[in-house]
Amino acid sequence: MFEGGLWVLLLFALLLLAPQWGLVPRWRQQRWLRSRDAIEDALMHIHQREHSGQLASVESLAGALNVPARLALALVQRMEGQGLLRTSAGGLTLTPEGHRLAIQVVRAHRLFERYLAYETSVPPQEVHELAHRLEHSVTPQQIEQLDAYMGHPLADPHGDPIPSATGEMPEMEGQSLVDFPIGKPAQIVHVEDEPPQVYAQIVAEGLRPGMVVTVVERSPTRMVLESDTEEHVLAPVVAANITVREAMPRVAAPSGERLGSLEPGEKATVVRVDDACQGLTRRRFLDLGITPGVEIEVVMRSPFGDPVAYRVRDSLIALRREQADWIWVRRNGGGQAMHGEVKSA
Amino acid sequence: MTGSGESKYCESCALRDSLVRMGIRVDSFDYVLALMGNPNTGKSTVFNALTGLRQHTGNWTGKTVARMEGAFEFDGRRYKIVDLPGTYSLLSASVDEEVARDFVLFTRPDAVIVVVDATVLERNLNLVLQVLEITDRVVVCLNLMDEAERKGIRVDHRALSRELGVPVVPTAARQGVGLGLLVQTVAELVQGRIRTAPRRVKVDEQVEQALTELVPVLQQAYPDLPNARWVAMRLLDGDYNVRQSLESGELLRLARPDATDAEIQQAREHAPHILAHTATLQRKLEGTFRDRVVESLYAEAEAIARKVVHREGERRWDWEQKLDSLLTSRLWGLPLMALLLMLVLWVTIQGANYISEFLATGLFWVEEQGSRLFTGLGAPGWLTGFLWHGVYRGLAWVVSVMLPPMAIFFPIFTILEDMGYLPRVAFNMDRFFKKAGAHGKQALTMAMGLGCNAAGVVATRIINSPRERLIAILTNNFMPCNGRWPLLITMSMLFVAAAFPPVFAAAAAAGTLLAVMLIGIAVTFIVSAVLSRTILKGEASSFTLELPPYRKPNVLAVLYTSLIDRTMLVLWRAVVMAAPAGGVIWLLANIHLGGQSLSHWISGWLDPLGRAIGLDGVVLLAYIIAIPANEIVVPTIIMTYMGTGMMTELESLNDLRRLLVEGHGWTTLTAINLMLFSLLHNPCSTTILTVWRETKSTKWTWVATLLPLGIAFSLLFVLNTLVRWLGYR
Ligand SMILES: Nc1nc2c(ncn2[C@@H]2O[C@H](COP(=O)(O)OP(=O)(O)OP(=O)(O)O)[C@@H](O)[C@H]2O)c(=O)[nH]1
Ligand SMILES: [Mg+2]
Repeated sequence: MFEGGLWVLLLFALLLLAPQWGLVPRWRQQRWLRSRDAIEDALMHIHQREHSGQLASVESLAGALNVPARLALALVQRMEGQGLLRTSAGGLTLTPEGHRLAIQVVRAHRLFERYLAYETSVPPQEVHELAHRLEHSVTPQQIEQLDAYMGHPLADPHGDPIPSATGEMPEMEGQSLVDFPIGKPAQIVHVEDEPPQVYAQIVAEGLRPGMVVTVVERSPTRMVLESDTEEHVLAPVVAANITVREAMPRVAAPSGERLGSLEPGEKATVVRVDDACQGLTRRRFLDLGITPGVEIEVVMRSPFGDPVAYRVRDSLIALRREQADWIWVRRNGGGQAMHGEVKSA
Repeated sequence: MTGSGESKYCESCALRDSLVRMGIRVDSFDYVLALMGNPNTGKSTVFNALTGLRQHTGNWTGKTVARMEGAFEFDGRRYKIVDLPGTYSLLSASVDEEVARDFVLFTRPDAVIVVVDATVLERNLNLVLQVLEITDRVVVCLNLMDEAERKGIRVDHRALSRELGVPVVPTAARQGVGLGLLVQTVAELVQGRIRTAPRRVKVDEQVEQALTELVPVLQQAYPDLPNARWVAMRLLDGDYNVRQSLESGELLRLARPDATDAEIQQAREHAPHILAHTATLQRKLEGTFRDRVVESLYAEAEAIARKVVHREGERRWDWEQKLDSLLTSRLWGLPLMALLLMLVLWVTIQGANYISEFLATGLFWVEEQGSRLFTGLGAPGWLTGFLWHGVYRGLAWVVSVMLPPMAIFFPIFTILEDMGYLPRVAFNMDRFFKKAGAHGKQALTMAMGLGCNAAGVVATRIINSPRERLIAILTNNFMPCNGRWPLLITMSMLFVAAAFPPVFAAAAAAGTLLAVMLIGIAVTFIVSAVLSRTILKGEASSFTLELPPYRKPNVLAVLYTSLIDRTMLVLWRAVVMAAPAGGVIWLLANIHLGGQSLSHWISGWLDPLGRAIGLDGVVLLAYIIAIPANEIVVPTIIMTYMGTGMMTELESLNDLRRLLVEGHGWTTLTAINLMLFSLLHNPCSTTILTVWRETKSTKWTWVATLLPLGIAFSLLFVLNTLVRWLGYR
């Protein structure tokens, strides 16, 4: 009697919870199929594939969304029914309507990436994940507000173009860092954020869009880059995820040194605030009068060496090292050599 | 004040007889004035001088975080004056700056008094020029003239007035110098007897081009808009509030305050094409709009400052720099901080001892007389008991135990604050906060928390990143506030100081208190670090901290303000919180069920839980009764132990020690447990309410309440299990 009851219970549980076929997983799959997340992620994937020239398939979609092929197929059929995509011999293509929607998702995603990176303190490695979650839950109106708030930016923090509200994509030409000529200043326009492991390495090296670097050495096993003051050693696989273009004259001009590298007692003139420094921090700098041409004096270090207090326009302001490093300066009162200028000469 | 040649301020213009300070009676008024300015320029000082109120002032940026209203009467007219939080600019979008901006924009005061710091004129002018874009009813109050003079900085206020196109009045607000002329000028301005011609800044060609395109579009939709250029600039900058007001049609109220709802509905229709136009222009400017505007503003400010500021000699920062390099030095920075804190605690404890004794004697004498009188009049025993030995005794206890440490600690603390020491503490400690993923300004809010956690929670508004602000709010409770000091002091007197000769008793108690605070600081860092790696994930973001110049503290004003303030607060709390609690305690002890008092029953139920964390049921009961006000824990414990049903003042500390150790088996461990519990347990009801008001979130209020409680219980449980397991009873 007792054993019989146990078996019934077990069977029941199986019916309810068995992977794939159980009632609960089924219900969840159905819900997922109808969800905005699933459709938007599929749109993104097919859109990306169209761009790369190799069309998406049901299998690639299943892989990208991490679901069984059976579900991916159901999703494709569903979206076909909604007039969002077509199946052709070569693979899946978007209809104009699908394309329009895909662009809007891309737009939401990149705007969020920019917002999270510049206006909040989410660590760079997690921005993508979080933006990915947020992009599905906003209304078009909120997206417009976000866009306006940031001054209709053209690119996300990785340098990817942000489409406008009407779907136009700003042009971003560039080439892979792997085969950029040695010795020429190159500006990073894009850093691919996937796979995450590779991206984390790039972030750790401090490489980001807007920065100017020069390739100084290249071999099949490693590449050596030089930025304003540091040297970066990368494996070619990692370098392949960085897109660059020839640096414009304005950007390539001598950028001097980072404020953080000065010693107490030294005085310098601000050249500019790094382009990659945006949002809250940049606004604060501006408010405090840290603008090109202003004189800045290093006054004292705190007991642990960081933060450091600077005198700007007669007031004493403490900044942490990372922030001071966004400020490019040129030392006043000759004598010292300037790293930046040597390179640009 | 000696001027070299021309007088620097109108010396005869001390506040005249015609000024009547009206405090907070703001019900009817003829004119509204707003006080704006960079942080720490003396706005609140001007406000206090004019209204006779005692708004808190302090030498650090961000002392005032909410707006405060007051009133005065001058020449028969009534003025309402609003003290706004300090702002560096009107462009940024931090909460306190928006408060200030929106007030000027939407409430449209009759005049704006921009208080500027004469010693840092260039940066202050940046804000003045922005205010001049919004409104032309501006009077500049050139404050801190005495300090400028000391530093050899001379500002030609007449030239400045010509450059800006608005009146400029030099003042030294703390000494009250020049304020008469300020009021006079404001009066003339609001009555239209002074005409202003504010200077407007031109930005570079591309921006001006964009503005010439956008302004007409705006003006077409809103013909009466007085500051269309400014609105256009805000739109190009992506200002959220201005955009919203355009979308909702509220912008029309800027043009015509009396616009009807129907008209506003109509105005909404203009939004889409204006916004589309804005977006196109913004894209053309490639997101560099803000930079260009600020660069032009500062260029203009520099040009003006060059004309009106004259420096004499280079002796500007001498002794300040020496002091700074000592107070923030590698070797001495932290030890000096600890030493100073220790000193403050010692003075507080030593001094409080005397006053406490004196107050207690007096107040309990009154109790005796009172109850005797009642008995004499033939009042029933329970009434005398409830009123005199319950309610009144609760009140007396709180006054005699709470008031003295506060009355000593607060003035000392405020003097340190007034000198400008607090920001240096934040500077020294920032490294730890950074490691914990928090903001260095949290040090300032923690310092405020030492006085009162509710005040500490409000002070977190100076942290402008929401994540870091929340961390500061959730952890503020780990700084033991003044209300918890009596317990900590009593415990350390009984169990630590007893081991030292009596002369060192206060020092030993101060040392113990300091140790408890250090534990609190450590817990703050650990909890902050855990929070920023889990539910409040993120790295420490933008950190800028202004280190103001050292200033001579205004000792008399400080003494007066903090004494009056504290006394009022303690009395108020005593009446509202402690007196009812006193009644409850008496009732619990005197209502009997089955031969035992209620408090006996309840503490019996709580006992197993109490034992698990090395305390007992009585302590937990006392803690529950004291949730409204932490200060009555100790008396509740004593009273329950004694079973008398009255909060009892024992004859001496020795008696108390005997009661606890011999009567109820307390050990040093019990005392440590109690101190830790008091340090870590949940915030008092006032603080909880404040957290709710500041976060507007039930969820975070629960976290702020339960997180400390959870930590207190688990830490004590682990500690005591460990001790038991190691064989110590
Ligand atoms: N020497 C001198 N000190 C002044 C004068 N006016 C104000 N102070 C001091 O300057 C400090 C700042 O004053 P507050 O009135 O708190 O400044 P606030 O502008 O309200 O500051 P926030 O509220 O932080 O924006 C205090 O320590 C004042 O005592 C003055 O005219 N001369
Ligand atoms: Mg103030």
